[in-house]
Amino acid sequence: MTSLQSQYRARRVYEVTPVASGAVALRLSDQVVELGKKEYDWFTKAAAWLPSVRGVADLCRELEMDEAKLPRFLTALEKTGLLYRTDKVPESVTGIEFHARFNAVLNSWLTEAFAHPFWDRMMSGRGSKRLFTGWLIELYHYTKNANRHMPLSCASAHEKQIKLLRAKHYAEEWNHYHYFMKALKALGFTEPQIADSVPLPMSLALSNFMRQAARQDILAYSICSAVLEGTTVDRRTYNPYYEKAVEIYGVPKEAVAPIYAHLDLDIQYQHSDLFLDILKHVDTISAERASVILDYGHQLVEHIWMWTENIEKYYDKESNPVPRRPFNLNLD
Amino acid sequence: MSAVDLPVLKRSAQVSRKNGSVVIRHLRDEITLDGAAAELFGKMQPLLDGKTEIDRIAQNLNEKAPRLRALAEQMSKVGVLSFMNAPAGELMSGTDFYKLHKEHCAFWLEDVYRQPLWEQITSGKASRAQVIGFAFEKYHYIEGAYEHMGIAAANATPEMMPHLARHFIEEYRHGDIYRKGLRSLFPDDVVLRAQPLPSTRALINYLSETAARSSFAYYAGNELLQLTENTGDDKAGNAVNEFYDAMRKHYPWTDKLIDSFIEHTHADQKLGHEDAFLLMCKSVPPLTRAEVDDALNVARSMAEHLLLFMEGIDIFYANFPTVPRLPCDLRSE
Repeated sequence: MTSLQSQYRARRVYEVTPVASGAVALRLSDQVVELGKKEYDWFTKAAAWLPSVRGVADLCRELEMDEAKLPRFLTALEKTGLLYRTDKVPESVTGIEFHARFNAVLNSWLTEAFAHPFWDRMMSGRGSKRLFTGWLIELYHYTKNANRHMPLSCASAHEKQIKLLRAKHYAEEWNHYHYFMKALKALGFTEPQIADSVPLPMSLALSNFMRQAARQDILAYSICSAVLEGTTVDRRTYNPYYEKAVEIYGVPKEAVAPIYAHLDLDIQYQHSDLFLDILKHVDTISAERASVILDYGHQLVEHIWMWTENIEKYYDKESNPVPRRPFNLNLD
Repeated sequence: MSAVDLPVLKRSAQVSRKNGSVVIRHLRDEITLDGAAAELFGKMQPLLDGKTEIDRIAQNLNEKAPRLRALAEQMSKVGVLSFMNAPAGELMSGTDFYKLHKEHCAFWLEDVYRQPLWEQITSGKASRAQVIGFAFEKYHYIEGAYEHMGIAAANATPEMMPHLARHFIEEYRHGDIYRKGLRSLFPDDVVLRAQPLPSTRALINYLSETAARSSFAYYAGNELLQLTENTGDDKAGNAVNEFYDAMRKHYPWTDKLIDSFIEHTHADQKLGHEDAFLLMCKSVPPLTRAEVDDALNVARSMAEHLLLFMEGIDIFYANFPTVPRLPCDLRSE
């Protein structure tokens, strides 16, 4: 790795949208950068080169650029905001500063989490009642599995104030899966059918990932929890989905009412403020720890995307059993 | 009430009819019933629900019970039907479980081998991100041995401990073989800090969680993964070689990566791990019905996780082609 390569890193680009005459708009968390066709090509090549073992000559050959011009080109990319200098990453931040950074990227993260085509499909009428039902069953498992990670986070927290906040959160949430059971009963399932069913691998993966976070770092766990809470703060984002499910797919209103009740309760508890409340008790976070925490947060976002993929793929196939039953030697 | 009173057609059995014959598929087996047997099965099928006694079925169909029982017993022998009132307390030997496990795993793995990414790579249709992603995720998956094999050894039952300890000790450095391949394209620090896909993390975490609660179920799951490794069998070996040859042809820059894949395959072959599970099965006490169901549930779920692992590489890298997946920092997001 050359010194230039260790000096720069590319920022995360959340979306690339074509604009006029081959140009593209690159959406970062805090701005949109427009590049011409040629410049975009250069940027993608430079971004791929930065974390590689290829030398300067190799990149310059690819860009058809004089080697002497490369530092200027990278500086220009830094000015656009697409690259940043690694020596400008702060060595530490306070808990409150960290929260401000998290808050600044949360919307981009949530947009990424819900960018899966499943949502468009469901909203445009190309989905089905079966897909809605499958998604609800997996949501039941995900909510019930809070009992696998929330108490573990309390057990792994060390500071009294943070332990208390995490335990209070658990006390308020542990039995919310009943809302989803109620919704599923309205769809015609019996309680044992749902309670004894097997979650999809990605539903299980979500709670396993939360358990991993809980064991590693209470702030890593708390950022994941904050991302999840971030998905339920605004009724305007989820109401249309349920309304469409009733309107297009004939989902009974009784199956949707418990979900609204659950979401309203979440808002009432103001769980979206919990991460800030926790971070107020953290004086300083080193750059290394911040990296781990942010990784957990962003990977949770990716888990949500992949969870949606897993749900769509499984429940789309008519021959797959709903709900999923555990292995039974007599029957399998 | 005899042990054959409540017959149930396995829910995983697929029944089809052609020219008066009935074909029943279960796992990788297929049986065909012709003539009178096919006709009798056709009449019995709706009542093979595990709740209706053979005598009652005979009454309903106006047939002789011994005739129905004979057909049901034959179908039970080939595994497409079972009896719900078989004694629940009956234990299964480890070696019987081994056979059962192998049979089911071979079937469950079919979906993994059918996953389109294999063909996309051999035909050159896979993108650069998918191909490099494939190498990275394999690295993460093998490197994950530190987690799940370590947890398994630390939580092992007395019978399983020597096997799980040996397995961990023999495999914990295998991730470095893949790492060596990746270092032909990326600095070591980048490889070490790269983040796995959620689907790869799901596979490792599922193994780790199972390892913490049941040694035997854990290895029943891990064995499914071992079955996908080339164990020296000529047919499987040729398929693997063809895959790597095609990969080299379409993606010449993966040369050193493929060398590392092959080196890992050879390292696995030398260890003779294809017998490990059989040895474990021989050393565990007979298994209860609940233990059998649990271990097979884990193996089935492992097949689903392995499919998810492949789908993750295929679909995730197609939608989010940034590779390597660098860790976040205070400026990156």
